[in-house]
Amino acid sequence: MRNKSKILKDPYLYMLIFFLLCPFFPFLGKYITIITELLIWSLFALSFNLVLGYTGLPSFGQGAFYGAGTYAAALTYVHWSANSGNMFLPLLMASLVGGIFTYLFGFLIKGKRGIYFALLTVAFTQILYVIAFRWNEVTGGETGITGLIRGQFFGINLSDSKRYYFFVLLIVFVSYVVIRKITESPAGKTLMALKQNETRAQYLGYNTEKYCWYIFTISGVFAGLCGGLYCFLYNAAFADSLHWTKSGDVVMATLLGGGMVNFYGPLVGSTIFIIAREILSSIWDNWMLLYGASFVIVILFIPTGLLGLVEKWKEKKHIEKHNNYNGKKINPQIIPTKGEKK
Amino acid sequence: MNINVILALFFNGIVLGLIQTMVAIGFSLVLGIGQVINFSHGLLFAFGAYVFWYISPIIGYWPAFLISPLIIGIMGYAIEKTLIKRVYGQDPLFGLLITFGLSLAGAELIRMLWGKTTKTVSTPDFAAGQIYFGSIIYSKYRIILAIIALIILLSIWLYMSRSNFGAIVKAGMFDSEMITALGHNLPALRNKVFVMGAVLAGVAGVIAAPLWSIKSEMGTDILMPAFLIALIGGLGSIKGTIFAGLIIGVMTSLGVLVIPRFTDILPYILLVIVLFFKPKGFYGEVTILGAIRGE
Repeated sequence: MRNKSKILKDPYLYMLIFFLLCPFFPFLGKYITIITELLIWSLFALSFNLVLGYTGLPSFGQGAFYGAGTYAAALTYVHWSANSGNMFLPLLMASLVGGIFTYLFGFLIKGKRGIYFALLTVAFTQILYVIAFRWNEVTGGETGITGLIRGQFFGINLSDSKRYYFFVLLIVFVSYVVIRKITESPAGKTLMALKQNETRAQYLGYNTEKYCWYIFTISGVFAGLCGGLYCFLYNAAFADSLHWTKSGDVVMATLLGGGMVNFYGPLVGSTIFIIAREILSSIWDNWMLLYGASFVIVILFIPTGLLGLVEKWKEKKHIEKHNNYNGKKINPQIIPTKGEKK
Repeated sequence: MNINVILALFFNGIVLGLIQTMVAIGFSLVLGIGQVINFSHGLLFAFGAYVFWYISPIIGYWPAFLISPLIIGIMGYAIEKTLIKRVYGQDPLFGLLITFGLSLAGAELIRMLWGKTTKTVSTPDFAAGQIYFGSIIYSKYRIILAIIALIILLSIWLYMSRSNFGAIVKAGMFDSEMITALGHNLPALRNKVFVMGAVLAGVAGVIAAPLWSIKSEMGTDILMPAFLIALIGGLGSIKGTIFAGLIIGVMTSLGVLVIPRFTDILPYILLVIVLFFKPKGFYGEVTILGAIRGE
């Protein structure tokens, strides 16, 4: 019984239902491509949040693994499975390449912390960008790889955009569940301990560098997968997706929703981010001005993100409720936090 | 291969390196003392070029040469006072994102103010033409600019290594708490350093304006070279930054002869090599950044 109510309370269930029905709404059905992109982005932001939200490492290079996945998928598809049109191998390669890149890169930087980590991730992203931009023979250089035709996935034809949407939805939701299992596992708890106080976690006997390295790799796998899915959404791979501005976008989307404090933050953030971007860019030519300003506003006024605000508000309510208890004020520190049983 | 071509490219590389170094110094100092990766630094460079392009026909070449960096300095002061000062010492991503947003908004502002077309500044009359060194022909203007840039860089280096202010800034990079305890005003110090970097970026923009075409993306374009120079030279070290700047400038310029298409990647390869053997860069010392990663 307990299990059943737990499932019913799960926000995932409602999100899944919403996204399943999405294409059938008369208004939303027209924007199916954007909703697909939104799904991909939410997974991308979620994968990024594994690094930012759970280890606190300020990575600014998630776009590199996403872009690597895009190219891996496009190249595999063009060279190996263009005849059969099966998308399984390209998508597998995308996540593998994303994972391998993060594994190798993580080996070099697993011991770095703080601003130095951020600097090195920016540099790495830029290296990949220059390679993709210049190596015309393989990556197509400035024009990228275009003109892919979406094929099938073990016999299921995905050329229709609605079908592709459901395919992406399936993959994204399975990945959600996997990522959540990771964060709820003992390893995930260790990561959170590491985020709060790395030295203390080390003294407790955890090899924190290894934990950082592995979670970085896992996030790379998912970022690569997102890149692969994105590649088939627009049937192209561009060097643009490797540019460091892309990494800026995903960090922004994660922070906006409140990835630092809540597991669902990245989903909320990327949803708002994509929708706002689409609306803004269609109504105003100089939308980049507002776009840039929104970064500043979010960092200055809501650094914990939207869900952070909600959480703060809940906390306040909670304290108020206890303060009014018996009509006298008590020290907020001794009030048990929500969810804690007595 | 013609030796003249190689020499000309070598000089081009020196000029390029000097311009990039001027931007890199500000980037490096702000990073050292404020722990903020300042992505908006390229914007100041771009504004320097645009302001110079805008006011030089009105007030003449030399007055514009002097006034534009000052305007950029005021701009830097305003940006630091309103935005950047709020993110010092916080999560590095906050500083990164706020300056990133600023650079995006600023580039768009340039497009709104002055349009999307690229602008050119003509070479002033006194510096037009070529200089002949035996068989080598080289642009007079580039040589004048190189000399000006060199003088500015050397005086900055001397100032920062000999003066009291330079010593305080250096101390601030080691231990910002301690210099506050010794009675120095850390926020004011950070502000001064930022403004200094802004003025230097403005000068670089003014110098670059007649050499390169002026466009709104020039800020983001110069940011990555400056970033690399700061990392390779060692954060906060002026000597190292100048050294790295010259190496990278010459390298990218001469690299055209060897691997034409991949010259952009040479600095990154150098970065990886340097960071592998000398993680703090050429002349970097243990700064506040080193303290964070426990070295």
